Amino acid sequence: MKPAPFDYYRPATVEDALAALGTSETAKVLAGGQSLIPAMNFRLSQPDLLVDIGGVEGFDRLDVGPSGVMIGASVTQSRVMASDEVAEAVPGLRQALHHVAHLQIRNRGTVCGSIAHADPAAELPALAIACGATLFLQGPAGERTVDAGDFFLGPFWTDLGEGEIITGVHFPSEPADTVTLMDELAWRSGDFAITGVAAAVATRDGCVSGARLVSFGVSGVPSRMAAAEQAVLGFAPGDDSSALYGAAYEDGGDAVDDIHATAEYRREALGALAVRSVRAALASNGNGTGV
Amino acid sequence: MTLDSPTRINPMIRHRASHIGRAVPRREDRSPLMGRQRYIADLKLPGMLEVAFVRSPEAHARIVSIDTAPALALPGVHAVFTGADLADVDLFPHKILYIQPVRQPVLALDQVRYVGSPYAAVVATDRYVAEDAATLVAAYTEFEPLPTVADLDQALAENAPRLYDDWPDNYLVNFPAEKPEVTQAFEEADHTFSDTYVSQRQTGLPLECRGVLADVHDGYFTVWSSTQSPHIVRTTIAEMTGIPEPRIRVIAPAMGGGFGTKTHIYPEDVVMTWIAGKLGRPVRWLEDRFENLLTGVHARDQRHEVDVAYDDDGTIRAVRCKAICDVGSGEIFMPGTATVFVTGGCLTGGYDLPNMEVHHFCVVTNKTPSGAYRGFGVPEGMFVMERIIDRVARLTGTDPVEIRRRMILQEDQMPYEMHGGGRIDSGSHAKAFERAVEMIGESLELVRARYADDPDVRVGVGYTNYVEPTTPTYHLTTGFWAGGDSATIRVDPDGSVRVGLGTTALGQGTETTAAQLAAESLGLHPDDVTVVMGDTDRAPYGLGAWGSRSAIVMSGSILMAADRLITKARDIAAHLLEAAAEDVVLSDGNFHVSGSDAPTVSWSQVATSAWVRTLDLPRGMEPGLEMTGYFEPPELEHLPDMSGKVNAAASWSNGAHAGVVSVRISTGEIKIEDYVVVHDCGTMINPMIIDGQVHGGVAQGIAGAMYEHFQYDTETARPLFASFMEYLYPTCSEVPAMTVEHFETPSPEQPLGVKGCGEGGTIGPAAVVAGAVDDALADLGVEIKATPVTPSAIREAIREATAGGGER
Repeated sequence: MKPAPFDYYRPATVEDALAALGTSETAKVLAGGQSLIPAMNFRLSQPDLLVDIGGVEGFDRLDVGPSGVMIGASVTQSRVMASDEVAEAVPGLRQALHHVAHLQIRNRGTVCGSIAHADPAAELPALAIACGATLFLQGPAGERTVDAGDFFLGPFWTDLGEGEIITGVHFPSEPADTVTLMDELAWRSGDFAITGVAAAVATRDGCVSGARLVSFGVSGVPSRMAAAEQAVLGFAPGDDSSALYGAAYEDGGDAVDDIHATAEYRREALGALAVRSVRAALASNGNGTGV
Repeated sequence: MTLDSPTRINPMIRHRASHIGRAVPRREDRSPLMGRQRYIADLKLPGMLEVAFVRSPEAHARIVSIDTAPALALPGVHAVFTGADLADVDLFPHKILYIQPVRQPVLALDQVRYVGSPYAAVVATDRYVAEDAATLVAAYTEFEPLPTVADLDQALAENAPRLYDDWPDNYLVNFPAEKPEVTQAFEEADHTFSDTYVSQRQTGLPLECRGVLADVHDGYFTVWSSTQSPHIVRTTIAEMTGIPEPRIRVIAPAMGGGFGTKTHIYPEDVVMTWIAGKLGRPVRWLEDRFENLLTGVHARDQRHEVDVAYDDDGTIRAVRCKAICDVGSGEIFMPGTATVFVTGGCLTGGYDLPNMEVHHFCVVTNKTPSGAYRGFGVPEGMFVMERIIDRVARLTGTDPVEIRRRMILQEDQMPYEMHGGGRIDSGSHAKAFERAVEMIGESLELVRARYADDPDVRVGVGYTNYVEPTTPTYHLTTGFWAGGDSATIRVDPDGSVRVGLGTTALGQGTETTAAQLAAESLGLHPDDVTVVMGDTDRAPYGLGAWGSRSAIVMSGSILMAADRLITKARDIAAHLLEAAAEDVVLSDGNFHVSGSDAPTVSWSQVATSAWVRTLDLPRGMEPGLEMTGYFEPPELEHLPDMSGKVNAAASWSNGAHAGVVSVRISTGEIKIEDYVVVHDCGTMINPMIIDGQVHGGVAQGIAGAMYEHFQYDTETARPLFASFMEYLYPTCSEVPAMTVEHFETPSPEQPLGVKGCGEGGTIGPAAVVAGAVDDALADLGVEIKATPVTPSAIREAIREATAGGGER
């Protein structure tokens, strides 16, 4: 459990970081290192160069404005979680981060790093999709933005191009009629999800008027739950939930079997979590607490 | 001296207050809590090199060739050794007559039988370079894959690939049994059923992985090894390498847990010693977590095929059980064959079952060798027994508590002989169960009320009544050692006491309890006592800490040594007091003539006479004030009788566990809402430490009941785990608060009436959790037959029982 030899570089500017990444085909960006370093210790990942972006100017910004929250590439999960302003603007972030690993890991792990790593069972990619977040990327060809909904392509596979890095992510402020929350099943507190749902649920007159429901931990990529999003329209607190359950179960059609749970289990759990999340969102009645 | 040893504190000692039975604070906690404990990873010697082992990536293969040249060419690499280089090291010994001999080499020579099997060792300036080189050795090794055997069914199939060419099949142990009275009971009973119960592959998971630092100087070897049994390591290294035993010193320094996994003698212990000798300089190997999961012994991989005969009224007439243990490749010393016999011998737990027949089998597969883990076969058997009882209760409509009441051992049945020959000398089985039922009944009502409004949640309760065999013979496990252990007590001129013990400390509080015992038996205070363990040059020969044996063997050997010391000390004191020895008593640490408080002679004065002012000794007395007691636990048997019965444990503690769980039907989520333990380990030396043993044991039992599971690919026999991402131990968030109460039924046979308490906590949870989940989901017809009981497994059971999924 020792990494193969590698070089280490800690640039001060994004330009230097990009230039360094351009010097090697196996170079990796080091942010919090909470996934990368274990992978290197197992020699599953053997980059010849680590570009540590912890010192890049501007990457530590955490700005809360009327439009939402801008989180720089080196901002830790703990810092986001601790900010009352963030919790006010995007309540789902703090609530979701409670599910992300443990305190010590969140102290080092970054929000952008988790998104870039794109573990299919991670919370933050799913939340970014549910919230309609925007990713800010910079690479050899310049800067661009990508909707979180278009960013995740497969297990540990994203739209990031060669030599490109995430410089920040923008979570829009939660609309007044919407509640964003996350629910998941993990065998132990702090584990990656066996099955999870990130939900942004809009209500009007006590009924669901629109929803972005995102599954994670179920298949190889966090996914919008098309059938459930359709079935949930008009759902009210007292309603029978079997249609919603059934639609969410259908959304889990590409669920995976692994050592922790069967595919069938994940589909059933997805159904149950979808119902649970929507009911919780309705119960909080758009007051923004989400929990 | 005869083998007769005192079982009571010497009556000449008068204490103001007893040190036995008191919650004396643990003296060993300060260093680890301050981060100042010295584990093997903290030890460094001048010129020390680091070793990495090269381990098989194949589950079953022949080694065709190994090219070490590319690894040797790497800067910083000092040496690479393969099995062929260690030709002067003997194979691991085989000493048990009734099993297939394995006799594995320390480094695999021509065949590997599990992923992780060590076949070469790299020595380098640091671990980073060593691992770079190990990667190169692996890349330049040619394997010829062989057909694999991934589980019991594959191993026992007709024409199954064999792990050992010269064996007729894959049985390491093959002990069928048949009893005519069992056959008759099956004929006479109203009903019978057959079922299969499975417990999964787990391990003891020490916080500190293993490690070995070996040094050689002037032909004298010092081996620091994270082992529970330093003397046994010494004897085995000597036997295998030919190094004279007095020239080997094995030190087990501070240990971060062992849980049985560190009782085995691992290849690394021997290879590291050999490398130090070969290179003439210190070498260290630190096992990392990946290696520990892959190559520390596994355990509990058992399947039980049972037939049960019972009557309409819920009476269980007979159980027939085929206990089959998947012992992995079997390449471990001591072999992992004894646990299944313990499973069989303890299957009935705290119950009186009229007829039982157990067939014992150990089967080799291409998986990590299995061996010792806290509980040592008892949890697996208890899971089976309680499942049988719950099933009979359900089939006959009998109350699960009532059916247990009818079967549980009563005080007037003591001493009670179990079917396998275990002789339970005393206990509080029925009383403990009644108390557990009472305690859990109260919380059951509260939990039911808590979830009364949630139709998705069901609540259930489960029970178990177990016996915990303690201080077992090591002869049936090793074919060599037996059951004795030792204590050397020395009183120094300043009057303070040094106790050297053959047992070891791995976190269980032995230092504190040994000090209490020594203080009590010498009329001193625990603060006057220094305890030394885990060092073959500083402590007398002993078998180490395992099998919940330390309490009994320490009590016995300390009492023996103390008695001999006191006899001599009294003679010296009497001489100094100019009195007759039989008139001298010892109170509050001072010798004086009975009936008069003055003058007194202190331990310091006696010891000064014995060591320094020997001119003050009675004429002709040998100087010195150091005595050793070598204690063999009474009642302990080492070989079965003609009928196969053996009382393989010196004592039998008992306990009742009960737990309430809530189960969410839609997701299978399970929560232990309350857990109670009523525990009886005889005389308690330190109740606080016993509580800690129970708490930790229950946590490990919950690990087995709900979480930990080593899984293998059934096609390739490759492990599906590499880290704690796959192997899930419960954290403090998952282990519930629990209530522990004690009864104290002293053993009539063991010193001070102690029985031992290291493993009882682990025995209960699998049976309790499974019973409670069954109870919660009884109306759906769910029956749990395997551990771990995960949400996915619960949903599967609900689907099977309801043909679809039950309620959503």
